This record gives sequence, C-alpha cells and structure tokens, in this order.
Amino acid sequence: MADKAILYDATRCTACRGCQGLCKEWNENDEIIPKTENGVKSRNWGSYENPRELASSTWLKITFNEVEHYGKVDWLFNRRACMHCTDAVCVKVCPTGALYHDEKYGIVAYNKSLCSGCGYCADFCPFQVPQSNRNLITGKAVMDKCVLCTQPGLNRLDASYEPACVKTCPTGALTFGDRDALVADGKARVQKLKSQGFTNATFYGEKELGGLHVLYVLNDTADKYGLPVNPQYPATATAWKDVMQPLGWAVGGVTILGLAMNYIIARRAKAAQEATVNKETENVGKK
Amino acid sequence: MSVKNEERVEKYSRATRILHHIHTAAFILLFLTGLVLFVPQLGVLAQGSWTRIVHRIAALAFIIAPTLYTILKPRAAIAAVKEAFTWGKDDLGWLKAAPRYYFLSDEKDMPAQGHMNTGQKLWWFIVLGTGAVFILTGLIMWFLKTVAPGALLQWMVFLHDIAFIAAGAMLFVHVYLGVIHPMMTEAWSAISKGTVSKHYAQSHHGKWYEEQLHKAQKKDA
Repeated sequence: MADKAILYDATRCTACRGCQGLCKEWNENDEIIPKTENGVKSRNWGSYENPRELASSTWLKITFNEVEHYGKVDWLFNRRACMHCTDAVCVKVCPTGALYHDEKYGIVAYNKSLCSGCGYCADFCPFQVPQSNRNLITGKAVMDKCVLCTQPGLNRLDASYEPACVKTCPTGALTFGDRDALVADGKARVQKLKSQGFTNATFYGEKELGGLHVLYVLNDTADKYGLPVNPQYPATATAWKDVMQPLGWAVGGVTILGLAMNYIIARRAKAAQEATVNKETENVGKK
Repeated sequence: MSVKNEERVEKYSRATRILHHIHTAAFILLFLTGLVLFVPQLGVLAQGSWTRIVHRIAALAFIIAPTLYTILKPRAAIAAVKEAFTWGKDDLGWLKAAPRYYFLSDEKDMPAQGHMNTGQKLWWFIVLGTGAVFILTGLIMWFLKTVAPGALLQWMVFLHDIAFIAAGAMLFVHVYLGVIHPMMTEAWSAISKGTVSKHYAQSHHGKWYEEQLHKAQKKDA
C-alpha cells in the first residue's frame, strides 16, 4: 500500500486551531490547566500562541511566527507535530521497540505499553517532538506524540477516515492522502506561489530525512516558519547504535571467551605443577 | 610450616569490605537495569519505568557509599588512590610476566607485588575512570533531561554506554580473578573475611608482606 501523508498549506491556515482541539478530543488527551492557588492564571509571554510547547497530552499545535516576510513584519502560522520521518532516528534509538515503522501507512507508529520512559527519542529527534510527563526524581515517564490517529481503539486510518486534524480543518489547509499525489500537488502549489511573487516559497518534507509524512507548502523559507532548514539524522545515533553497541557485544564476548580459555589452560597448568611438586615432596620424604 | 600457615594477615579492613560489597551490589543492579536497554529482546522488561527507578536507587548507593567512606576514612581512601597511581619497575615486570603467570602458573619472572598488584591497580583505573564518567553523565541525564540541549544528552548517552561496556567487561575479569581463577585461592577470603594466610600473602603480595613484617618487628623492638 502506498505511503499516506498530511499536506499542510501554510498559506491557507488561519490559526483557528480547530485541529489542535480536535486532536485532543479524538485522542482523549486532557487540556492542560495551570495549577495555581487562585485557579487559572495566565501570563502574557508576548504571543497569542498557546500552549507554548507540545506536551505528552498535546500532540499537535499551531505555532505563531512573527518574522520579516518580504519586507514587512508578518505573522506566519505553522503546524507542529510529529513529522513521521522515513529515516526516523527515534525508531532507531528506541530500546524497547515501542516506536516502530508502520508498514501499512509509512508513518512512525507507537506502542505506548512498551515505553520504558528512557527519553532517547526526545534526545535524538531533530524536531524535538516526543514529549513525556517525566517525574524529575524517580525518572518515571511515558512518552507521547502524534501517531496520525492510529491509536488502538481510536484508529481512524484503519476505518478509512482521515486524521482528526484534517477532518476539522475548515479552510483546506490540511489534506490527507497518498504521499506521492500530495507531493505532486504541493509542488504545484509552491510553483504557483513563486509565480505570484513569493520567490522564497518552499516545499518542505519531500526529501528531508528520507522523506517526511507531513508535507509543507510555505510561502517563505523554512526557517521563517521555525523549521530546521536542513534537518540531519544525528551522527551520534549512528556512532552509538551501529558502531558502539556492536563493538560492546564484541568486547563482552571476547572477554568471556578469553576468561573461559584462561580457566581451561590455567587449571591444567596448575594441576601439572602440583603433581610435580607432590612427586618431589614424596621423593624427598623417602630419602 | 603448616602451623605458621594458619596465621592470618589482615588484607582489607571491615569498612573497606562493606564499601566493596555495597558498591558491587549497586553496580550489579545498575548493570542489569542498564542491560535491558542494551539488549532489544530484554526491552519488554523495562515497561512501566520500574527498571529506571531501581537504576536511580542503585545510583544513589553507588555515589553515596564511596563518598561516605572518604569522609569517614579519609586516610585509607587517599592511601588507596595513591597506591593505585604509584607505579614502579615491578609493575612493568608484572605486565611482562602476567601472561605466563596467569595462564601457565609460571611464577618465575613475577616480581613481588605490593598490597595492590599491578592488575588491581589497572582495575582501580577502570573503577575511578568509568565511575567518574558514569556519575557525571548519569546526573546530567537524570536532572537536566528536560532542559539540556538534545545534542548534549546524545553525547551523555553515548559516553554512559562506553563506560558501561568498559566497566561491564572488566567486571567479568575482576570477578573471575577474584573467585574463579585457579591460582587466586584466597582473594575471595581477603574481601569477604578480610584476611589471607601468611603463605598467600607471601606468594601473592610479597613486597607488602615484607613491609608488614618489618613494621611488626619494629613494634616488638
């Protein structure tokens, strides 16, 4: 089956954040209410963007970027959630297999019950997406992130529905479908933007990290939207998982084999020596 | 000769032995709860974070035990570290003679060793070196996980793993030499009961035995 994807067209997004709300609703994630003495207390941090960051119960949010955009200050909205990379480093570093590639849709699926809470996925993700409700002292944690509405029991894709965020989008900024078709569609939209004078218009996600399963039509460069321009698969992950750990197995194996060999040889040598000493002692005794 | 042999010499004090056992138990727990993240097939055991909670409790013992020992017995702690870092020609001699000694029971070229033989000094390097790496990288991952940049945490994971491989593999060697190797007949007695026979002290730690003898004679005189 062909890979699926979400196409986000930033030029059509009004930041209504219906996607943000329905994401929580469908996936049964609670809202985060700040716990202060006098109930809800909000603090102005200079933006209407809310909440400030993804959380274990916030898998999707719209970011508000105030940047210089073709000579004037503009407000650029962007969708922030799991990118569902083809070369997903989180899958590589997850020690329990909780994060894995879904063969059917090509996305990064997640078996939450296997999560140990180690947080390696969060350390290595080039987009800092995975979030956990970590207890600082005990370290007890469970990670969460967007699974493109494939949670067991709440699996919209298996039921042939589009993801909740796409379903609720009133402006057509979000579309869901076969990745190949969306890549073609998105590129055409970017071409059109360029012809309209948005010379920096960017199609993001086609090649990044082997191809993302969330594609972006942006009418400026990716960095203006708060995206890393050239996200890289961390070299530390390769050094750790493909070099260091196999080497560790070799070192451990050679050590144990070496000790076993030493035992066999040393025991025989000692026995031989003792036999000589005993015989010598006996002979001395006879004299 | 046999009568003399029954006389025992103290090798490790009570405090030292307690430190050794707490530190060993902590390290084994840390090793096993870390191993579940190293072996994908064992990953299921780590569900629900409980291995990570055990890892933290053991980490506290791993840090507190030697700290407490250093505070309570500063002179013994300094003396031991100093001993591990004091190297002479007998240590080079040990390195040369070790293969024939440990494989073939050939004691001919083995120079008399101090309270700590060269191999034990090397083990101390492993313990001190990896211990520092474990504690530093571990504390950063424990307390700065949500604030430190990802790139730093990636290196912490990597270094913690290198220390794990080095210390883990050498722990096998340490345990093997302590309780299994055919010639190390009293190493376990030294660390469990605290004493070794005079004969063992003389043949395995000759230089140290002579020193003890001199001290005893001086006292008598």
